[in-house]
Amino acid sequence: MAEHIVHAPFPGVFYRRPDPESPPFVNESDTVASGSVVGLIEVMKMFQEIRSEADGTVTEFLVENEAAVDAGQPLMRLT
Amino acid sequence: MLRVHRPGLMTTVQDAGRVGAYHLGMPPSGAMDRFSFSVANLLVGNTDAHAALECTYLGPEIEFTEPAHIAVTGADMPLKINGEPVDGWTCHAVSPGEVVSFDFLKAGARAYLAVSGGIDVPPVLGSRSTYTLTGTGGLDGRALREGDELKTGAAATSAAAGASVPEELRTVHPSQVELRVVVGLASYRLVPESLAAFFTTDWRVTPDANRVGYRYRGGAIEFVDRTPPAGAGSDPANVVDIGYPVGSIQVPGGSEPIALLHDAVTAGGYATIATIISADLGRAGQSRTNDVTRFVEVTLEEALTARHELAARLTRVHEALGAG
Amino acid sequence: MTAAARPELAPGPDGSLYTFGGDEWIVAQLSESMSLRANLRAQAVTRRLAELALPGVVEICPSNAAYMVRIDPDVVHPRAMLERLKELAEEVGEAEDFVLQTRIVDVPVLFRDEWTHETVMRFRDRHQTPDRTDLEFAAELNGYPDTDSFIAAMVGAPFIVSMIGFVPAVPWGYQLVPADRQIEVPKYVRPRTFTPERAFGWGGGFSAIYPVDGAGGYQLFGICPGPIVDPAQRLADFREQFTFPRPGDIFRYRAIERAEYDAIRATVEDGTFRYRQREVEFVPHDWFADPDGTVRRLEGVLDA
Repeated sequence: MAEHIVHAPFPGVFYRRPDPESPPFVNESDTVASGSVVGLIEVMKMFQEIRSEADGTVTEFLVENEAAVDAGQPLMRLT
Repeated sequence: MLRVHRPGLMTTVQDAGRVGAYHLGMPPSGAMDRFSFSVANLLVGNTDAHAALECTYLGPEIEFTEPAHIAVTGADMPLKINGEPVDGWTCHAVSPGEVVSFDFLKAGARAYLAVSGGIDVPPVLGSRSTYTLTGTGGLDGRALREGDELKTGAAATSAAAGASVPEELRTVHPSQVELRVVVGLASYRLVPESLAAFFTTDWRVTPDANRVGYRYRGGAIEFVDRTPPAGAGSDPANVVDIGYPVGSIQVPGGSEPIALLHDAVTAGGYATIATIISADLGRAGQSRTNDVTRFVEVTLEEALTARHELAARLTRVHEALGAG
Repeated sequence: MTAAARPELAPGPDGSLYTFGGDEWIVAQLSESMSLRANLRAQAVTRRLAELALPGVVEICPSNAAYMVRIDPDVVHPRAMLERLKELAEEVGEAEDFVLQTRIVDVPVLFRDEWTHETVMRFRDRHQTPDRTDLEFAAELNGYPDTDSFIAAMVGAPFIVSMIGFVPAVPWGYQLVPADRQIEVPKYVRPRTFTPERAFGWGGGFSAIYPVDGAGGYQLFGICPGPIVDPAQRLADFREQFTFPRPGDIFRYRAIERAEYDAIRATVEDGTFRYRQREVEFVPHDWFADPDGTVRRLEGVLDA
């Protein structure tokens, strides 16, 4: 099965949830469709949605919630 | 014309900035990295009077409907024309229908995309620079959006595809930066140990750093006890509200220094302790969220020398491109 | 008392301090504390500097008890400019003979309005007194028996626009009353993330108007129907400059009722709004001799 990596398109802080009270956008073993929101990155006082560019199942998160991420850094693995 | 297929994260029209209205609260705006901006314009036969696109963190995808010369400088954000990688710091000819796009940022924060003839938007108070807070300048005073169309001005004939800036004159962007500052302003409000510690602390750029200013974390600053002077308020970090220079560093709450940059708030009541020298403002604007910054104290004379060295480097670029 | 970091960068006995803001800026603090005298000196020096039109001067920015100059160091050496500014300060002295040619402007304010009230209630957790409004807090802190008498004090004498900035057009107002009647309030404990545009507030020793929606830390008392920025430059007062306030303006805040607020808003909407304003001479010497009589004469010019 083809593996797909979701990358951080720009640097900032990665969030798995839309807000602290809500459940995560996606969990491990969830299936995601191309174009669906899988996280947020906060930078320059803006929260930007991060979308998957492929259909797949989340097999692994490669960064923690609220981790500082750099542009191009792998965020999660899909198969 | 330029057609914006994807706007990138924060792409704005910027030029050399707006002067003369700081006393009315209007910051200069303009390119955060003036050197890279000037070089991009030089490469396509423009001058500093022409506006370019400042592309922050994530580049745009733009289709050209007319022939043009383009160049990208500043941050290391690999450039592609019709999907084919091409060199930065180099003049390229694009044909109608060709699409310019970028790979993920590798270093730095802001790339400058200059187009022969410059981006043609109406000047406001003598500048085309975008200042988003009041919607001034640029394209409707805001960052680019999908579907926007940008006109360009009349192009000079001096652009030469293939012209390239020698490696040693390009800017590199380490993730650990040193910013030189002149101490002054309300530095007298700090205890000596705090001012000394300010220069030995590894300050990390916070995620909210933007064109207004960069906030840093990493240490604490202690103020001298005092009886608050009339009008200052009781917070020890406050002074009677005063003008803030571009590049000045303030310490609200004594914990998170903020360096004001080109969209600076122009005045306020926080004690400012030092100012980034003009030659290093570009380096500040190329540092990015999570980068480590050290502030290094210099004298006014050293600041002026650094300014002249940067101007001399631009002259060398001019000469190397045969434009001088 | 702990010593300051650099004795050579400490203010002189009179509170004055000239320092370099990098290689392009000179900040001249005339006094560490606010006073009308300090502001008038800043206005006098900066107006004189503007008249001189010295080569290499790029920006001239008066502030409350200080001023700031941006220079082009390729044209004039910062040290030479700093010496020139010190000479100017000597020439101006205490600004005894300075006469401020300015305008007095009628600035209506709707106090206790629904918009700032909603904001005030939304951010109670960031305020000194979560159980009271900003008006109630500020009135008591300044020794007024109720909010009505506090409002009466704020509209009882006009303000000099002692500085403009933070963001474009914010008019910092220093009330033309003697030091013992100056109102002073702290800023919010933690700044709000929202303030409605045209809100009228107060922080430290200064009133202010917020030009656009945004974050803020001033105590909020009301809202002005008239804008202070007009980016589209639709209104007559904004044809030359999209910001309205100018350094040294005299603003007379006037308490209005909701009906007048709505009527003025309608003129803003239909593009016919204008501030009522008159050219005046503010003679500091007269004010120091008779503050109340002097401001009544100024207001008389406006209301004639």
